[in-house]
Amino acid sequence: MLESLESWSWALDGWIIAAGALCAAASALLGPYLVLRKMSMMGDAISHAVLPGIAIAFLVTESRASLPMFIGAAIVGLLTAIFTEWIRRFGKVDEGASMGVVFTGLFALGLVLVVQAADKVDLDPGCVLYGAIELTPLDTTTVLGYDVPRVVITLGAVALLNLTCVLLFYKELKITSFDPALATTLGISSRLMHYLLMTLVAITAVASFEAVGNILVVAMLIVPAAAAYMLTDRLSVMIFLSVIIGIASAALGHLSAIMVPAIFGFGSTITAGMMALSAGVLFVVAALCGPRHGIIIKLIQRRRFAAKCLGAPH
Amino acid sequence: MGVVLRRKRSLLKFPNQAHTNKTYRMKSVTRRSTIKLLSTLVVTAFALPIQAAPKKYPYSITTTVGMVNDIVQNVAGEKAKATAVMGAGVDPHLYKPTRDDVAAMIRADAVFYSGLMLEGKMADTLIKVGRSKPVFAVTELIDEKFLLEPEDMEGHADPHVWMDPSAWAKATQAVAQSLSKFDPGNAALYQKNSSDYAVKCLELHSYGKKVLATVPEESRVLISSHDAFNYFGRAFGLKVMGVQGLSTESEAGLKQINFLVDFIVENKVQAVFVESSVSSKNVKALIGGVKARGKDLKIGGELFSDAMGAAGTYEGTYLGMLDHNITLVARALGGEAPAKGHDGKLSHVK
Repeated sequence: MLESLESWSWALDGWIIAAGALCAAASALLGPYLVLRKMSMMGDAISHAVLPGIAIAFLVTESRASLPMFIGAAIVGLLTAIFTEWIRRFGKVDEGASMGVVFTGLFALGLVLVVQAADKVDLDPGCVLYGAIELTPLDTTTVLGYDVPRVVITLGAVALLNLTCVLLFYKELKITSFDPALATTLGISSRLMHYLLMTLVAITAVASFEAVGNILVVAMLIVPAAAAYMLTDRLSVMIFLSVIIGIASAALGHLSAIMVPAIFGFGSTITAGMMALSAGVLFVVAALCGPRHGIIIKLIQRRRFAAKCLGAPH
Repeated sequence: MGVVLRRKRSLLKFPNQAHTNKTYRMKSVTRRSTIKLLSTLVVTAFALPIQAAPKKYPYSITTTVGMVNDIVQNVAGEKAKATAVMGAGVDPHLYKPTRDDVAAMIRADAVFYSGLMLEGKMADTLIKVGRSKPVFAVTELIDEKFLLEPEDMEGHADPHVWMDPSAWAKATQAVAQSLSKFDPGNAALYQKNSSDYAVKCLELHSYGKKVLATVPEESRVLISSHDAFNYFGRAFGLKVMGVQGLSTESEAGLKQINFLVDFIVENKVQAVFVESSVSSKNVKALIGGVKARGKDLKIGGELFSDAMGAAGTYEGTYLGMLDHNITLVARALGGEAPAKGHDGKLSHVK
């Protein structure tokens, strides 16, 4: 199993993990807010909703180059966030339902556009938008004399942007997540904070689609935050743990992508998928062993309580 | 290309394109030459500083799809070992490379890929790899007049060039030229290998023309899962129709299914075909539709479109794959072809 790591190379595997960790950190910074606001599926919603953006970008530019595809996807990503809030407000439905309405609607529009206007070329997000994290080390630019992958720079910038916003608006984001009504009476616009958060999610999601594909960011927006939710009741600790779990699953994911298939005698498998899977495993561990909400601790408490009620000797 | 130049485009039909339902425009020459020029620039840009011949023999070449791998290996002969990252039954439009594939590309002395967006977004990265080692897009090096372009989709040529063995023979020559640039010392050998291989391609081409000519004229229709057989149709004079568009992810429209069902019933088409790398769901929907109209339609068999057969078999080579397709189509549509194909090595065709 360890022999499979003999071909380990920092220039290759190091950068793949760095890209995964940055994507995970950027997403895991926002994840706790999404989980608390019951909007966890936003990343997935955006991954479906970008299709019309790609189709329109193709119709306008007649090209399948990365840049127009990215811009089209980014614009529709933002629109998804805006439409979701509109429908929630005017339609009086909860976030999940309004997200469902928006992304299925946009996805359907995208399919119609693709079939009607561009059926003769291969135009789907898997082909023209989603990058692959494994290709990270191949595409580098020189920064301060070092060859740094373009993806690492993009995702680093996104992670930095998210970190800055979370630090600057920590209080505002926190109060609007827990009690929007109170926030409004205190003079904090919960709508503005919602749009800020959704904009950050859209930027993170689309930048990650282009850099490392869709599965990683969809998973990292939800799973590390959900795992952190099992471990703590404080928002600041939750965000911190969420980022740590995200980064840990990135490293663990790439290692297992190399080592797990080697056990069965195969070559390495898809890294992004393994990173998402590792996050899932860490979630299970957190759900089992959490100090207050963990399944094991709950079980012990229930036993103790039952024993107490029955008056058995301690 | 930021500026899209508008110009008159001549509407020409391909000379031997007997009756395909789509009118293909010949490439707009200026546009194609811009692309050609650009790709030449790209090629020379990275070929020049790294023209150093391989340090040792056999040197290693990494390729994407099997069809490209096969011709590269045949042209390079014993001078190089070519390895494809995509195996049998893989859909190259949606393929995601693994870490080992990337490691192979980093280790390789040269990289060959098919091009024309067949590999999707991966091509972007391959072009970047070209800064540090020779990278060649095989179909983009072929003379533009051998390429097909769907109507009103200029600049987005159909990437499935290998379906026409005579065009793939040109690709073989492009590979020989690329290898000679990389390793000038063996240029003569590469040239000879490519000529030998091109002869085999052309033999297969004339075999295909011969056996498919035995199909009754009104039955010369090839209906399959997605639009991968336009070159095949052009090469052998078949009308080609796909249930879904070129993109393997797009859904078949109900209208298209109804249109095809009408067409099949009216023209008494006997067989439709499924593909090894695409789901057969849509073709089965066609069969259901035709049955509902009281006619019989059978699946003519599984064609190789975007990937070759299993490695180590005859169908796992480019020539075997095409032989399989030609023989299968000819026999299923009521033509006469030897069960074992052109080379007598086929095992799958009934």
